[in-house]
Amino acid sequence: MRSGPYVVTFLTGAVLIAIFFIPHYRAQQVQATILEWADVVYAFALILGSISLWTTHQKRIKTRAPGWIFSYVTLGALLFITTAGVVQGIDEGTMVGRLYNMVNAPLASTMFALLAFFIASAAFRAFRARNTEATLLLVTAVVMMIGRVSIGEFLWKGFPPLTEWLLDVPNLAAKRGVAIGVGLGAISTALKIILGIDRSYLGRS
Amino acid sequence: MGDGLDIRWFDPARANLLIGVAVFLAFLVVNIVRARGGSHLFIRPLAGLQALDEAIGRATEMGRSVLYLPGLGDMSEVGTLASITIMARVARRTADMGCDLSVPCYDPVVMAILDGAVRQAYIEAGRGDQFRPGSVHYVSAQQFAYVAAVSGMMLRERPAANIFMGSFYAEALFLAETGNQTGAIQIAGCDQVTQLPFFVCACDYVLLGEELYAASAYLGREPIQLATIAAQDWAKALAAALVVASLIASVLGHPELGMLLRTR
Amino acid sequence: MAAERNATWARRLLGLDRRVIFLLVALATALPLLLPVNLPITASPRVRAAYEAVDALPRGSYVLMSLDYEPDIMAEVQPMAIAMFRQCFRKGLKPVVLTLYPAGPGLVESALRIASTAEGAVRNKDFVFLGYKSGSQAVILGMGDGLRQLFPQDYWGTPLDQIPMMKGIQGYSQFPLVVNLSGSSIADYYIRIAATRYHRPLVLGCTAVMATDYYPYLSSGQLRGLIGGMKGAAEYESLAGLFGDARRGMDAQSLVHVIVVIFVVLGNLALFATGGLKRNPLDSGGTT
Repeated sequence: MRSGPYVVTFLTGAVLIAIFFIPHYRAQQVQATILEWADVVYAFALILGSISLWTTHQKRIKTRAPGWIFSYVTLGALLFITTAGVVQGIDEGTMVGRLYNMVNAPLASTMFALLAFFIASAAFRAFRARNTEATLLLVTAVVMMIGRVSIGEFLWKGFPPLTEWLLDVPNLAAKRGVAIGVGLGAISTALKIILGIDRSYLGRS
Repeated sequence: MGDGLDIRWFDPARANLLIGVAVFLAFLVVNIVRARGGSHLFIRPLAGLQALDEAIGRATEMGRSVLYLPGLGDMSEVGTLASITIMARVARRTADMGCDLSVPCYDPVVMAILDGAVRQAYIEAGRGDQFRPGSVHYVSAQQFAYVAAVSGMMLRERPAANIFMGSFYAEALFLAETGNQTGAIQIAGCDQVTQLPFFVCACDYVLLGEELYAASAYLGREPIQLATIAAQDWAKALAAALVVASLIASVLGHPELGMLLRTR
Repeated sequence: MAAERNATWARRLLGLDRRVIFLLVALATALPLLLPVNLPITASPRVRAAYEAVDALPRGSYVLMSLDYEPDIMAEVQPMAIAMFRQCFRKGLKPVVLTLYPAGPGLVESALRIASTAEGAVRNKDFVFLGYKSGSQAVILGMGDGLRQLFPQDYWGTPLDQIPMMKGIQGYSQFPLVVNLSGSSIADYYIRIAATRYHRPLVLGCTAVMATDYYPYLSSGQLRGLIGGMKGAAEYESLAGLFGDARRGMDAQSLVHVIVVIFVVLGNLALFATGGLKRNPLDSGGTT
């Protein structure tokens, strides 16, 4: 029985690789079915996730960990949203839909907007002309930051073509190099899993 | 094409990719045979991985925890698979040193698998009794809810080491900057090229792109694992040679080689 | 004496509370939004190609538009959606719209409402919104020939069979152009499946940070055009002759970039004044 998971992994991996080369509609249907199975597995795993979330916060409350009071908020929200979703559904106009649009959406947008502040503070600390390479990076970053926004074009008409060149030539050359490496690394890792060379995902070394 | 449905059993436009996979498999087999035959396969040191022990040791000395973040990828992403392998090794070291480990997860499937991997690592280290259920825990599948929760953990619990390994997206800079503020030693490995600059700005050590995938072979040092890295290097050399050859051919007015390499 | 004064000033600057930087960034974002300057915009070749891919379609053509994003990145992507919808309605093209994100329908509805009101387009006559469907990759694959099975009715519950505009629409082959506006790996799935497997011309709109990842797909022909971030959206608005949120936002983005550049320059001057460049703690880092 210990070899069961490896057999399943090998067969699934081999079938999906084969399907990549088979355009037959039946093969595509098989792929769509496997992808649907993955969704079903994910849905069940969400139950595990919810149990984990519940246990973690219950423990925080019990041990009076720092900020434990907010764990009540998390648990209350988890219970409320789950109940509302089961009772009313999650479509537009339902309680979950409204909460998603009116609470979750603005919160997510706000968090994302904070990225501007983090970038400003990271740039202030990290862009330092400490050697030739770092100076080159610094100058390029300044050209990109000014040249990629409207004010750059307003200051000097040459900024947009200069930034386009930087993006299209040195940037793309480096990116393609990294991408080829990542692609080959991904194939290698996938093959290690499919062929059972790497078994750590099953908790085995 | 029948009544509009594709009834071909092979897509000839993908023959080049099939040949590529076959060549890669051949490289893999040759290198596995070489490794089993006792050939020495060199793998260059990766500073980020060498620093893992130092980071865990520092956390142990300070009596603080190690925070391991497996990224936002799901199980279909290779970065996540690589992260699981590294996680198992990190867990083994934290078990050996008796250091507290916390692994907040974004994906429930990844959480379940990491929980098993960490538990097994503690058992293999002979410290199964020290495994703390709940050390691998689910947080949220909402990107910024996850960011808020993990940032809170960093600021409240002040882990001595933050390890980011896997596929990270817009949350990369949030998490790395927050960790930087807490003064934790930070080691990152990410296969998302666009997020690497953020980690480079805010972390002490960074595994760039494919180095993340090489980590399992580096940490394990098993000959077959090393063989996969050697096969990868051979394939990379071949890819570079083909790129240069097709470039020269194109310049000389023969773009056919470049066309043969096109993905369709 | 002067050198000592400079060093003190420089040390103060280096020890600057990051909240001061945050405050200036906040002001630089808010002020131009309240008082727009309307700085000039020139379209890049990538955005122009995207615009022309839509513009070249004959009147009455169907465009499959998958808007796969949530509110977090709407500032970058939503203006692209509105500008594209308006362009389609003006040209008499028929967008068939869907989303693969659960929080997407609200945003899509909002974009469609703004664009259709501005251009006088009518639901289910000039455009159809199919709504949200879970299982991103499976849905993109399934739309090869099974669009009607995946979406038997539109977002508001009208069966597709009762919408004359959807007559005969089965899958990708009925769409001379596919557009994906996305902030995630869904863009990769569209490239792999819609563009590569089904050979559909594909235009991609994405966040600025993602954009350069997709440049290689332009030269390989798998993408017809690429709109990256708010800058790309502003260029698209400019090509479409519109003054929307992206062009307004570009003023704010310009000022924030200037502030960041000023701080980077000041930080370097201060480090130079204190001799700190030689003993920067980042120097002792690992592979960074």
